[in-house]
Amino acid sequence: MYGGDEVSAIVVDLGSHTCKAGYAGEDAPKAVFPSVVGSIDQMEVDDPDNSDKNSVSADSKPKGKHKFYVGSQDLGFRRDHMEVLSPIKDGIVVDWDMVESIWDHALRKCLLIDPKEHPMLLAESCSNTQHHREKAAEIMFEKYQVPALFLAKNAVLTSFASGRATSLVVDSGGGSTTVAPVHDGYVIQKAVSTSPIGGELLTDCLLKSLEQKGIAIKPRYAFKRKEIRPGEFQTVDLDFPNTTESYKLYSQRVIASDIKECVCRAPDTPYDETSYSNIPMTPYELPDGQTIEIGADRFKIPDVLFNPSLVQTIPGMESSLETASTIRGLPQMVIDSINKCDVDIRRELYSSILLAGGTSSMQQLKERLEKDLLEESPQSARVKVLASGNATERRFSVWIGGSILASLGSFQQMWFSKSEYEEHGASYIQRKCP
Amino acid sequence: MDAKDILGLPKHALPVQEKKYKPPKESQRKPDGISREVYALTGGMVPLMPAIDVNQLKRKSQNDKISWQWLPFTSSARKDDLQLYHWVRVVNGVPPTGDYSFAKYNKSVDVIKYTDEEYEKYLSDPAWTKEETDQLFDMCEQFDLRFIVIADRFPSSRTVEELKHRYYSVSRTILIARAPSPSDVAGHPLVKEPYNETQEKERKRALALVLSHTKQQERRDVEVLAEAKRISVARKTIKAPKESELPVISDVPVGIDVDTFTADIVSPSANSQITSSIVTNSVSETALVMASLRMLHVYLRTYALEQMVQAASSSAGLRTIKRLEQTLQDLGVNLKPKVPTKAVCSEHLELRLEILTLLNLQKQFQHKEAEGSSYRDGSYSETPGTPTKRPLRAADLDRTFTPDSLTFGGDRFGKRDQKRKGPGRSSEAPSSPAQSKRPRKF
Repeated sequence: MYGGDEVSAIVVDLGSHTCKAGYAGEDAPKAVFPSVVGSIDQMEVDDPDNSDKNSVSADSKPKGKHKFYVGSQDLGFRRDHMEVLSPIKDGIVVDWDMVESIWDHALRKCLLIDPKEHPMLLAESCSNTQHHREKAAEIMFEKYQVPALFLAKNAVLTSFASGRATSLVVDSGGGSTTVAPVHDGYVIQKAVSTSPIGGELLTDCLLKSLEQKGIAIKPRYAFKRKEIRPGEFQTVDLDFPNTTESYKLYSQRVIASDIKECVCRAPDTPYDETSYSNIPMTPYELPDGQTIEIGADRFKIPDVLFNPSLVQTIPGMESSLETASTIRGLPQMVIDSINKCDVDIRRELYSSILLAGGTSSMQQLKERLEKDLLEESPQSARVKVLASGNATERRFSVWIGGSILASLGSFQQMWFSKSEYEEHGASYIQRKCP
Repeated sequence: MDAKDILGLPKHALPVQEKKYKPPKESQRKPDGISREVYALTGGMVPLMPAIDVNQLKRKSQNDKISWQWLPFTSSARKDDLQLYHWVRVVNGVPPTGDYSFAKYNKSVDVIKYTDEEYEKYLSDPAWTKEETDQLFDMCEQFDLRFIVIADRFPSSRTVEELKHRYYSVSRTILIARAPSPSDVAGHPLVKEPYNETQEKERKRALALVLSHTKQQERRDVEVLAEAKRISVARKTIKAPKESELPVISDVPVGIDVDTFTADIVSPSANSQITSSIVTNSVSETALVMASLRMLHVYLRTYALEQMVQAASSSAGLRTIKRLEQTLQDLGVNLKPKVPTKAVCSEHLELRLEILTLLNLQKQFQHKEAEGSSYRDGSYSETPGTPTKRPLRAADLDRTFTPDSLTFGGDRFGKRDQKRKGPGRSSEAPSSPAQSKRPRKF
């Protein structure tokens, strides 16, 4: 590599849906797992393994310690009273204990490294506050004793992953969609716009829509398939009364998101009930052997990205978006964001719109977005929406950008080192990581 | 066989066998110095120009002992002494010395630093406080003069132009103040071209306007412009004939002399009005053509002539045009002038117009004669010879009248024709229009 100098840095991107971690310099993260934790309240369950932990604090603290189960393997195994919780809300961390357990799992169990030896690059959301950044720095330096740290914004990393210093990044991930312009490697904070419509909302819409049609999605743990005759299976329902609601919902969501990824497509024109009432249905086989047919929902669900008011037509979802009227569709967000930027860079932003995030790997999304933008954008600007053809690259583009950045030779002077932290304090991070 | 002899080729098929052996040999052989797999990447063929000298490749690995080690390094670009590790190519047990190889890329902008006294003396400004100015300069250094980013993160909301204006004016003032004499810094770009805030604001406003035109607006604009163009062209065409008609009509009793195309004087007569109308028509048409040619800016004279001819003969029917061309040919004039200079072209056009006029008048004469003959048959009793005493007509009139005479009847006409054909073509263009313009008395 011409500009590269590997220092064996670690790149961790904690998103609202999945956490990605791996070595810098590689082209894909090694550890990818859901960024939710299963937590069992220690007070309720008498667990002999954790007696040493309990003896210190369990009785005195009214809250009690939680045991966290992180990773798809641990989460996939059903446990009594296990609640599924997410530490991230609206892109910002709300529970630092959970985040620590996630990091532990990623670094020690998946990557098998000792954080003391590796500089750490963390990806953060564009609307992260100073307080959160300081907390993250504190945990990293105090608990994990990393030699050096850097916090980079998601949008900047995506931009670097495509080799550009200036671009408009449309990041539609699990929890939210963010449109952020990046100019010369820095995010233009005043023009960032977010919307709560993300992959998880679309999954919920699909789930509710199927329920309304009478199709009940059985979570994986709730049935067992017995082979009666060779090739033929019979489904037996299992009952686990101690399973929490959140776990059930989580398992159902896993299946529904798989349906969404396989079947859904962004429509070429805005969705309306009449024109899509007669399209052919697509079959999908559920894990319990049931085959369901999905018709108009294939196009209705993705169109929520472009027309958020569609959410209210799905029964059961009316209350989820409180301010649904003020939320704008994706093309409108892009144009508003560009118009908030300085006039000189608008043309360049129009011609380099990048798509990133898990939801952006939906089929035909790029074409639909381009078409909608061509209508609304000014005549003299050339609109170009770019997305890497590989769906994996779109999903991990933030991580890939981090991998590129951390292995550059000229980046090695920008780390926020432990000695600087000890000298200036955590607030110095604002200076070092703009 | 004979051909082969001539060329000197061997008769038998020996070369075929040789060819069979040659290709496999060449692909199996490979140049030394690079491994077989790497060579296969090139497609098994030797490149025309070797990129690497083959001898060099083998030489390197023999002399030194190379190992790669995971060693710590420091970089002069860092202010602290963080030690990170990286792979280092160690030659003969001696690690490389010197600074980190990427430290030289750490370039930054020289932002001027002023002291407090300098601020008091030169830089106080009502719109800016000292803290703001200090912060601005701090951010300029941090962000390397990326004003868009600075404006985005500046605590109080200031536009990019205001920030730039403050920064450049402060730098300029300090530069001039610190220089021993003004001429020293006169060449400095900051001093030579000061930042023009109003111009920047205007430029940005215009750019914003351009960029805010959406596609629908553009379409509407295009439609409006097309409509306006059509209206202006229509107005021009209405105006042009009107302009040319006005002077002509006023001059009719005296004489017409418009452009170089009109022929001579028109004698005040009944027919003159007809003539003038023809001439007017031709004039107005040529005026139109002139207007259209002016749009072209550059055009060939032959093209112009064609346009004029077309315009002039547009009022006449196809038959008349054919007769005109026939006349020209009989007169020995090319339909298109061989040497199209200005004088020649104008004369040619004049000739055409005159012939056209002649033909038209002849036609009218026919009509009148027909009328007159019908009268004469009725009321008058003139001798058949009288018409023969009429002045000479152009020879081409014979042809004009021959087809009509049959329809009109009357032996007089036929006799006249026979008589006329004798003398041959004697009359010329200049004389005929003059004659034809003379009134006919019945």
